[in-house]
Amino acid sequence: MPQRTILVIDDDIDLVEIIRVTLENEGYGVIDAQSGARGLELAREMTPDLIILDVMMGQVDEGFQVAYELRKGDSTRDIPIIMLTAVADQTGFAFDPGKDSDFLPVNEFVEKPISPRQLIDKIRKHLPTEV
Amino acid sequence: MAPGVPQGERIAAVSAQFVSAASLRVRSDWFNKLRWGAALGVLVGSAAAGLFSASAPLIVPLVAIGVLLLLLNAGYVIRNRRIRPRDIVAELRLVKMQMVADLVLLTAVLHFTGGVENPFQFIYIVHVIIASLLFKGREIFQIAWLAIGLFTLMVLGEHLGPLHHHHLLSASDLTHELPYMLMSLGSVWLVLLTSAYIGASIMHHNRSIKDELVDRQGGLVEAGKAQLDFFRFVTHEVKSPIVTAQSAVEAARELLEEGAEPVVRDMLDRAVRRLTQALGIVRDLADLTQGRMAAAPHWTDVDLALIVARTLEQQQESMAARGLTLEADLPTAPLTVYGDEGMIEKVVVNLLNNAVRYNRDGGSVSVTLVPTGDGVRFAVADTGIGIAGDDLERIFDEFYRAPEAREMTNVGTGLGLPIVRRFLQQMGGAVEVTSTPGQGSLFTVTLPKKHGAR
Repeated sequence: MPQRTILVIDDDIDLVEIIRVTLENEGYGVIDAQSGARGLELAREMTPDLIILDVMMGQVDEGFQVAYELRKGDSTRDIPIIMLTAVADQTGFAFDPGKDSDFLPVNEFVEKPISPRQLIDKIRKHLPTEV
Repeated sequence: MAPGVPQGERIAAVSAQFVSAASLRVRSDWFNKLRWGAALGVLVGSAAAGLFSASAPLIVPLVAIGVLLLLLNAGYVIRNRRIRPRDIVAELRLVKMQMVADLVLLTAVLHFTGGVENPFQFIYIVHVIIASLLFKGREIFQIAWLAIGLFTLMVLGEHLGPLHHHHLLSASDLTHELPYMLMSLGSVWLVLLTSAYIGASIMHHNRSIKDELVDRQGGLVEAGKAQLDFFRFVTHEVKSPIVTAQSAVEAARELLEEGAEPVVRDMLDRAVRRLTQALGIVRDLADLTQGRMAAAPHWTDVDLALIVARTLEQQQESMAARGLTLEADLPTAPLTVYGDEGMIEKVVVNLLNNAVRYNRDGGSVSVTLVPTGDGVRFAVADTGIGIAGDDLERIFDEFYRAPEAREMTNVGTGLGLPIVRRFLQQMGGAVEVTSTPGQGSLFTVTLPKKHGAR
């Protein structure tokens, strides 16, 4: 089975490293981008199998903008997106992926701080191991 | 409130607009009430005069004046009801015209009731005082001079002949006694000008005090906002590193799996616990600052029964872990209140968390939710450590934790109950607590069905 590649887009370099170690330990390949623009470039060039996207980078909703762009591109439209949020504490809105998915083009939310187990479970849900 | 409009009412800053249109209207309505009294006074007075002595030629003009004043005032009242107070300049102009009409009518009444002989001439003072409540310096004196002018013209007119003099009662003809007439004129001049001066000074002083208060309040609001912005910035900046650190520790713990020495695992567990606690504080602080932002709440009808049921379900595990029994008395039908769903949920979660956290093992938590006349009552009772009398009020202070609570657990930020209280206040609700130390506490929340707080 070829190695699955996951793109991590987050401007917190420490958090990116934590996710990298966690994912590589599980056998995934990890590429990363520290900005939304760079993340979009990498997504188009490399077409990763899954994208982990931080909701809040430079701007409050930069992550959402990136997600919309990804959903627009032919090569990136079908890549599952897991969004990392701490939004509840910032805007007073608690996002509920079930309820809000019609206007939030992502597959899954993971609330920070990240529990490695939870993150891996959610990745596996969207990247089923081929038999 | 529209952006840029300072809180409170600006007075002296904008030349003519030292009163707002709305506050001028309040006074104008009040003067209209006084004017009903004046018109009735004229009518009753002329009726009394008719009963006792005076002749018909005197009574007819007086009744006419009374009726005219009634009609004019009816017009003023209807106008005030129909037209909303918007344009302060137009409102001021109208009030000034009304005052001129009042002064002319008063002079006419005095003319038909003895002129200089009538002691009611001092009613002019009332007008000058009202003018000083409404207008500023020069305008107050304009009204005073108008009153003086009208009165003087009438008295001189009657004295010199062009105007017919109507005797008051059967007194001697004072209007043709020069010394009396001059003394009377002089006293009216003196009293009116003095009233205008005193009124203008007092009101000027009051207005400058009010301006200063408005300025200070504006400053306080600004300072509060700056502090809030700073607060939000800090909570955000502090939260990010804590979140990252906690993720790192959890990842490390996961990577070590069972291989690590128990000591190391224990250290990592402690680190996670402390970081969780720190994050709790930061989150609660963020909630508190959120709660202070008037624009943040999203008002809707919220089904409180659903929120309580959902929260109880989430608490099941932690209750089972402590061996707690749940006694819930919840309505089966939805029970709506008007508020912000996130804020209401926070209130319910915080109270139930406390009931579990500060309970004794094997105790119970009782939850009741009932409709009241105009809202709902939600109560949470526990069988835990309770709260000493001195602490019943202090537990709502930010960061305060009762000694018993500290002793029991170091989990807890001291912000849960302040958040509960603040959120409820914002939604027009309230929270009360009663407790027996060592036996348990009862927190009772009331929330209105319709929002009436702000």
